[in-house]
Amino acid sequence: MSELDIARTSAPDSAPPSRAARLGEWIGMYTVSVLVALTVSAILVEATGGDWRPVMDALVDGSVQNPGRWGETLGVAAPMLLVALGVVVSAKAGLINIGQEGQLAIGAAFAVYFSFLIGGPGPLNVVILLLAGALGGALWAGVAGVLRFWRGVPEVLSTLLLVTVAGQAVAYGLRKSSLLLADEASRGNRNQVSEQLAPDNRLPRPDIFGNEFPITVYIALVLAAFIAFMLARSVWGFRLRMLGQNQRTAQRAGVSQRQYGMVALMIGGALAGLAGAAMFAGGEFSFGNYRLVPGFSANIGWTGLLVALVARERALAAIPVAFAFAALRTGSGFVAATGVESRITDVIQGLLVLALLMPPAVMFILDRRRVRAVSAART
Amino acid sequence: MTPGDNDSTGADGTALSAPAVELAGVTKRYGSVVACDDVDLSLFHGRIHGILGENGAGKSTLMKVLIGLVVPDAGTITIGGEQHHHLDPMMAAANRIAMVHQHFSLVEPLTVWENVALGESGPLDPNAVRVRIGEIIDQYGLAIDPDARVGDLTAGLRQRVEIIKCLRRDPSVVLFDEPTSVLTPDESAQLFDQLRNVVAAEGRAVVLVSHKLDEVMAATDEITIMRQGRVVERLPTTKADAPSLARAMVGREVSLRSESAALGMTAKPHSVAAIDVESRVVLSIRGASVKDQGGVKLLDGLDLDVRAGEIVGVAGVEGNGQRTLADMLSSLVPLRSGSVSIEGEEISTSRAGAMSRAGVAVIPEDRHDSGVVLEMSIAENLMLVDQSRVSNRGVIDLDEARHVASQMIYDFDVQCDGPNAPMWSLSGGNQQRVVLARELSNDPKVLVAAQPTRGLDVGAIEYISDRLRAAAAEGVAVLLISSELEEILDLAHRIVVMHENRIVGEMPRAGADLERIGLLMTGAGV
Amino acid sequence: MEFFEAIWDIFSRDATYVIAALFAGLLVLAASGEWVAERAGTINISVEAMLLSGAFVGAIGYDITSSPIVAIGAGAIGGMIIASIQAEMSHRMAADQFVVGLTLNILVFGVAAFLDREIAPDVRLASTWDIPLLSDIPLIGQALFGQPWPFYLIYLVVPFSWWLVFRTRWGLELRAVGENPQSADVNAIDVNKRRRQAIYYTGFTSGLGGAFLILVQIGEFNESIVGGRGFIAIAAVIFGGWTLRGTIAGCVLFATALSFRLSLSGYDINSELLQSLPFLVTILGMAVFAHRVRPPVALARPFVRGLK
Repeated sequence: MSELDIARTSAPDSAPPSRAARLGEWIGMYTVSVLVALTVSAILVEATGGDWRPVMDALVDGSVQNPGRWGETLGVAAPMLLVALGVVVSAKAGLINIGQEGQLAIGAAFAVYFSFLIGGPGPLNVVILLLAGALGGALWAGVAGVLRFWRGVPEVLSTLLLVTVAGQAVAYGLRKSSLLLADEASRGNRNQVSEQLAPDNRLPRPDIFGNEFPITVYIALVLAAFIAFMLARSVWGFRLRMLGQNQRTAQRAGVSQRQYGMVALMIGGALAGLAGAAMFAGGEFSFGNYRLVPGFSANIGWTGLLVALVARERALAAIPVAFAFAALRTGSGFVAATGVESRITDVIQGLLVLALLMPPAVMFILDRRRVRAVSAART
Repeated sequence: MTPGDNDSTGADGTALSAPAVELAGVTKRYGSVVACDDVDLSLFHGRIHGILGENGAGKSTLMKVLIGLVVPDAGTITIGGEQHHHLDPMMAAANRIAMVHQHFSLVEPLTVWENVALGESGPLDPNAVRVRIGEIIDQYGLAIDPDARVGDLTAGLRQRVEIIKCLRRDPSVVLFDEPTSVLTPDESAQLFDQLRNVVAAEGRAVVLVSHKLDEVMAATDEITIMRQGRVVERLPTTKADAPSLARAMVGREVSLRSESAALGMTAKPHSVAAIDVESRVVLSIRGASVKDQGGVKLLDGLDLDVRAGEIVGVAGVEGNGQRTLADMLSSLVPLRSGSVSIEGEEISTSRAGAMSRAGVAVIPEDRHDSGVVLEMSIAENLMLVDQSRVSNRGVIDLDEARHVASQMIYDFDVQCDGPNAPMWSLSGGNQQRVVLARELSNDPKVLVAAQPTRGLDVGAIEYISDRLRAAAAEGVAVLLISSELEEILDLAHRIVVMHENRIVGEMPRAGADLERIGLLMTGAGV
Repeated sequence: MEFFEAIWDIFSRDATYVIAALFAGLLVLAASGEWVAERAGTINISVEAMLLSGAFVGAIGYDITSSPIVAIGAGAIGGMIIASIQAEMSHRMAADQFVVGLTLNILVFGVAAFLDREIAPDVRLASTWDIPLLSDIPLIGQALFGQPWPFYLIYLVVPFSWWLVFRTRWGLELRAVGENPQSADVNAIDVNKRRRQAIYYTGFTSGLGGAFLILVQIGEFNESIVGGRGFIAIAAVIFGGWTLRGTIAGCVLFATALSFRLSLSGYDINSELLQSLPFLVTILGMAVFAHRVRPPVALARPFVRGLK
């Protein structure tokens, strides 16, 4: 019996604070953290001779305020959310997949390759393209899965190492006209670029209140709800959680780590790959304008991973976090006009993530203090 | 027998020098739980002091106060005439108080000498450490290779490393916390001889913490008995007798056999209801061999049959393959060769959950390792193995799950805040009841119980023992794996002994010969 | 056939070895520090950020003083600043080490890019020292003993790292912490403190690596100067099976592969393959040897007292 669970059992008079008080603590800490991150960013801007206020205004204008901008932000948030959902599923199985950036790139490449290989009418092609993206990401994550479950290579390391390999593989494909490279007429003088997706093969972008965004947004939201439900209420989700929390208990109870872990990793990869395909066919300008180019994944994989981790691996919580991170990205385009280097948004994002890591960490320490107050008894 | 009446005379009245260490009025509270309540304790040079008590009586907390890991709320610690309100590990070390830990403090991939050097200060001088180990080896007859990897050593040898580690600091006060659980009876006897040596030859003060009456009575000069954080009795060992010690420890008359067994009082042979030797074999293991990745044998051609309604006790020193045997029957370790059959049907040992599906229920040795999921609720823990009863087309019916769980909580008398309480909020005994409830609810054909009562209090032990007997009476084939010989003698119809990953001997309970079992456990009787 | 001729041609030129040594020097500095941290049980994805920070702060130091010595000191501090965030957040605040590492990589990249536009430090290569006699050894003499002088730091850092881990009490405790933190804790070793110290050491050597980058290899600063080589350093530690010898071998092997891109520029060799090589080789190595090579048992597992 470990020190902790005795402690947990024997503390009737030092019960944790009430739910409301706890919620207050959380909100308070998150508010302070965000303020600190923004203040540090402001100091950085001011210290280098810039002006903070217009930067902030530009961020708000660029992400939500100006006409059409929140649609743009949603369009960027959708792939982040898809990636994050994949992280959630693998994490629930106790697997640390950090290679979404690569899985996303491979997914996009698969989408491009199969879309142009098969051709065909619009709607069908869009479906094929998305499925191919998911397949590509799943296979790439599957490589890490095979290494993990058949060769004992930790998936943390293999998924990480495979990121660069994926980027290079896509770059290679973009130099071969038999794979991804567009023909000369289409690419002009660019030498590593795919064919542009024909207009009727693109994802629809319905217009709502003057904002247009690809239907990926709806797909991502539906998937978020579906995954949240599956993890919480289905037998499959229950067994997956069991695996994540105690692999040996799960093994005895008939949850094979190979089988469930492999599926979880590949779902994670599939969602990242789907994000890549959706970026290619969804048409935010920053994602290559319906063309695959080197560096196409544009850190969406890394950011999606951060989204999931900041959301503490919960599918529904990832929705607002993804939106916030996407807003920083779409806002950054407007920051350049203020004369302050637009990289400041990378800084803000980094500081925000660090800041958002603090409340759980502080809470953890506080909880441990409370537990420690009663710990070590009778051991 | 009021606590605190010891001044300059020992408990047996002989005049003694001033105590090496004296605790007075030490109190430690954790929330509403009082782990130590106004405890007085005097330790003298050249004497072995036994501290006896059940799990949770406050023995370990008291030891932690002595080595500076716990800061008491009240009371004083007097060492060599100097009074302290608390110690920290540095001060404890400076005052030459050292502990041989119950849970090993060794790092397996490091060598013996590196482990011995761990936790000291000053520049690292490998040769000086080796030389000092050599001296200790000569002095106490604790043979060991200083350059061996600790991970390659047996449990007995690892404890030897712990002792060397402790003695290397030339302690004036040595604390032994439950030292015999990993030893054969012979090794235990040897250990106590060494204790005598250390004490008599060098005038060290020794504390032996134990929940076993036999060893405390055999090895100590005086005994302090603790119950619920309080010292309830203190007496010289010469005046102690087992029944009264047991009564003091438990707080009431000890009549039940399994209670005596739990306290380490060797039960006299008695007649266990004979079972029909012709009853059918349910669990049959043939030539079972397991190797780890490095090729080390973990099971070595083990053969074993368990019949319906029979309790077979597997005796042996820990680390002789019992764990692998239980793991194998939990589908956690695949066989290299050999087979396992349940009612004549061979079961795959490499497929997840195959054993469980075939009707093998398991109470694992370490329930946190493979028995429960601490982060999940009680209801979820009760449906870990079988979700079919509480789900519909792949979706869990929460109401049904709660309902089923409530019934099981009632049937097995689990003390908790309801089915949604998290598993970690339960005490060890209640967690064990949850495991038991789940495993028995699936109508098992075989029940594997590995160290089922370890760390539990007497009441829980009695409960678990009754359940095991009841399961056998209903025709379940029960395999009881225990390092407590008394427990096996109390429950089993038939006893097998494991040594070096094989079964080296077998006898019916009625014909059990303690001496022979002891020899078999060391491998000598083969 | 042409391929083998090209390889032969390359391996008989001094320049090949000089370029490879430059690539290897950076990797060796970063990897020997990362090796120490991994022996203590932490994987610092933020090595990348530590290198970049070391390079940038080193560049600022050089910009102000025009002294390579100051630049090296500033670089070490730059690396340790990032190490302090990684260490304090992951091993005091119990935040996930990968999250912190990833975030730092993004953050430092942003900060470096942002400040580089605002400050634009001026950097030059340090002067070359030819070590007498040794630098005259054919083929490898110039590569190993005819470099800008901060190159020779690697001859100090590598043995020092080994000595630290295997010959000091600190190193013994470090290894105990990486293998069995629970036992180390019982032995009154502050597990998280040792891990933090190991991360600081990674920051120190990576900061030196950053200074190496600007003073020995490139001679200027921009934010993409590191370009993923922190990850390659991590790969080298894994490739080396958590031994220092293997780690250095990995660095040399990967550096050779990377330098081919420059050496082979006249030939048609697949540059994507070359760039992927360190990662492919590491993955392959792990797949083949994973069962024989044993990582520190507690690698990447946070330690909280009382929890398994």
